[in-house]
Amino acid sequence: MNTKKWIELGLSKGLSDVEISVSESSSLKLVAYEGKIEQNTISDVSTVSIRGIYEGNIGKVRFEYISDEQVDKMLDKVIENAKVITVKEPAIIYEGSASYPEVKANDFDFSSIDMTKKVSDLITLETTIRANEKVSNVQTAVYQENSSGAILTNSKGLHLTRKNRFAYAYGIGVFKEGDDINTAYEFDIFKTYEAFDPNKLANITIEKGLKRLGAVSLPTKFYPVVFSNETFSDLLSVFSNLYSAESAYRHLTPFENKVGEKIAQANFNLIDDPLHENAYFQIPFDDEGVACQKKYVIKDGIFQGFMNDLKMATMMKQAPTGNSFGGGIRTTNMYLEPGELSFDDMIATIEDGVYITDLVGLHAGVKTISGDFSLQASGFKIENGKIAFPVNMIVVSGNFFDVMNNLVTLASDLKFDVSGFGSPSVHVKSLSISGETK
Amino acid sequence: MLKKEVIQALLDEALETGADFAELFFEDTNQEVIRVTSKDVSNVSYNNVHGVGVRLIKNNDVVYGYSNEVSEDKVRALIVSLRASFHGKKKEAVALKDALPFDNKIKRPMEAVSAKEKTDKLLALSEVILSHDPKIVQSITQLLSWKQSILVANSNGTYQDDERHYARVILMGVASENGQMQQVFEGPGRAMGFEIFDDIDTFALAKDVAERAVHMLSAQPIVAQEMPVVLANGWGGVIFHEACGHPLEATAVAKGLSPFTGKLGQAIGSSVVTAYDDGDVDGAWGRTSFDDEGMKTQKNLLIENGILKSYLVDYRNGLTMNHKPTGSGRRQNYKFPPTSRMNTTYIAPGKDKVEDIIKDTKYGLYAKQLGGGQVSPATGEFNFAVSEGYMIEDGKLTTPVKGAMLIGKGHEVLFKIDRVADNLDFGQGMCGSISGSIPTDVGQPTIRVSKMTVGGSGGQA
Repeated sequence: MNTKKWIELGLSKGLSDVEISVSESSSLKLVAYEGKIEQNTISDVSTVSIRGIYEGNIGKVRFEYISDEQVDKMLDKVIENAKVITVKEPAIIYEGSASYPEVKANDFDFSSIDMTKKVSDLITLETTIRANEKVSNVQTAVYQENSSGAILTNSKGLHLTRKNRFAYAYGIGVFKEGDDINTAYEFDIFKTYEAFDPNKLANITIEKGLKRLGAVSLPTKFYPVVFSNETFSDLLSVFSNLYSAESAYRHLTPFENKVGEKIAQANFNLIDDPLHENAYFQIPFDDEGVACQKKYVIKDGIFQGFMNDLKMATMMKQAPTGNSFGGGIRTTNMYLEPGELSFDDMIATIEDGVYITDLVGLHAGVKTISGDFSLQASGFKIENGKIAFPVNMIVVSGNFFDVMNNLVTLASDLKFDVSGFGSPSVHVKSLSISGETK
Repeated sequence: MLKKEVIQALLDEALETGADFAELFFEDTNQEVIRVTSKDVSNVSYNNVHGVGVRLIKNNDVVYGYSNEVSEDKVRALIVSLRASFHGKKKEAVALKDALPFDNKIKRPMEAVSAKEKTDKLLALSEVILSHDPKIVQSITQLLSWKQSILVANSNGTYQDDERHYARVILMGVASENGQMQQVFEGPGRAMGFEIFDDIDTFALAKDVAERAVHMLSAQPIVAQEMPVVLANGWGGVIFHEACGHPLEATAVAKGLSPFTGKLGQAIGSSVVTAYDDGDVDGAWGRTSFDDEGMKTQKNLLIENGILKSYLVDYRNGLTMNHKPTGSGRRQNYKFPPTSRMNTTYIAPGKDKVEDIIKDTKYGLYAKQLGGGQVSPATGEFNFAVSEGYMIEDGKLTTPVKGAMLIGKGHEVLFKIDRVADNLDFGQGMCGSISGSIPTDVGQPTIRVSKMTVGGSGGQA
């Protein structure tokens, strides 16, 4: 792909600046069922995105039908789109940051591993889960490997490249005892093939599923609640848009005028760290080519400021934070700083509470702007400082902004999820739990 | 696009190592998004999805490959790589038939409408929301439209093209008072061109969005409890979609993962429940003339007076289940192999009047607007959020409530439906599952569920 020629063509059409990004990805996906591979998917797809500035406005296109003739048409489309924009906002194509952080490339070539090895490992995962006597079925077992490369280049001379290769696997077991049915899985992502241990993955899945058998609902009332590190990451994730400069500018966050003010309790430290070594991916630069950097979003409970892209940085007269991803402002690896208490010590202080290990329906049960959430959940009852029995079919409800000010303790068990959010388990003073009477 | 003779030859080659079935799916989709924020056009973007998917099946095992490069050489390379999974005697592909005509009755294709006409409409709608009340602090209006052109050809002789036009209008209002904020969203969609604005009174809807956002500022958190729930018509159908639609898909049934497996001819719900999935409702968001396997779409009776009549079945699962395909093979795009999915799914109207249902409810929740939901087909557990609700006390609507979350088990809730009104209506959404995100309609008349667990933060009953 001759991006240089395309940039020149764009400039000759009257665009003042042109940016082209090309991403190429290929993947292999294997699905096992009842001891054999039932689906095998291979792919390779390239996508070109062009952004161009025409008379001060930015136009955008993205396309998969790639030819010189198509690029010509798409550049016209960029101009056409830019002409429609009426909003008076800065349109910027970036000349580049002074320097970029170095990150270790994930370049293990998964395609070098023999196919029969992958097939047999995935079948091991599926059949090991299935072999457990309480497992009635394995809904699906998946192994997928991805390899992607991207080029970001523009008329200001920027030329950045990145590569990423990783694989993941999981198997969803259906556990049954009498009329009680539940499902459990463990998702594991790895950067070298050696890290894939199907037996271990199967055993974690089985352990999770067995623990949950015999789950019951709970009487409706307020309980002290412990969110597992994974579920609190989920909550941090759904509310992360509130720290975006764009949300502030569009009046879509209650933190609009709260920079420098206390919005959480004193030991609440929320950090966006693109390079955190325990996160799954380290990110050197964002989609506009801005170098990524670590920053506190909330420090000692005080809101430190919004994450931005180049447009918002210019409008708010701030330094760019390197958070432009997917056409909007997004976090990199955002995590809540852990405390010092072990998980067991945290539970030990609770007499009658609920430990939540799963939240379902996050896209529907959360009102981000008002902070209200009401979510289907499952987990365990806590009695006299110990995990007592499994619980399901309950709803946990509250307000996230209240939760940020009502954490009794934070555990030391920081864990990142695949989407880049991380959290320790946290103990919330009191939340509404609704359940059913049989 | 490849010539028909070339496609025929490629299908033949695909069966060389013993596959029972081969299919090529070609797609070119062009999508446009125009967004207005308050008084300005803030974003215009264009997205093209273009490629080919190759599927081979033998004994119900599937190999699938896809690429954005649509050339004879590339498709052949995919075929050679995919068919290596199979070892058997060569089979013959059936000669490709002629494509059947389709008429999607599009009056004003989006590409023929000027950008100005589109932005004028969005700006006017945004103004309706913004100017409705001083408490409205933000409005966003969007027009999403795309045209998907597909051609599917398979070794059973199917050769079918289709052209799907989609239009969706997004209306959002945010109200704020005393540091409290409430957002309300509507997103009606149609398989139409710009005539969507003639079909839907978007100005009335914009006003309604603003009014509800302001109204919800005074809503109280609902008290968590079990109680009867009256679900309003239209979007209320999302309960049936999540709780029963997904578990009726062959994807779940074929593997015995659904509570409805093996229940054809048996009662799976109360006798007031009759339900359909229809792939061929004129202009409906969930409609296609032909499904993504090239089969003509049809109206499927799923449940009749509580008795299970049919599942939703695609070609491959149909072989396993020994069940005729129902025209329900769908996929987001060429990057997914198709599987059984819903189109326009609804509970049929009954004879009750809404006023009577509310009057006969001593205490309960009236769920006027629902947010999204989710279901686990294996356990039947579902949840969905009530975005606008009112308490029912002594047969009358009283306090507005917020934060209500309804949970239940699909196979149980169907038996708890005790009243069905006569006011069938529909709502539109994007439904996500293993073959991607696709437009679907949900629908129902107003119904009552005799008892549900309702979550909320408002203290104890």
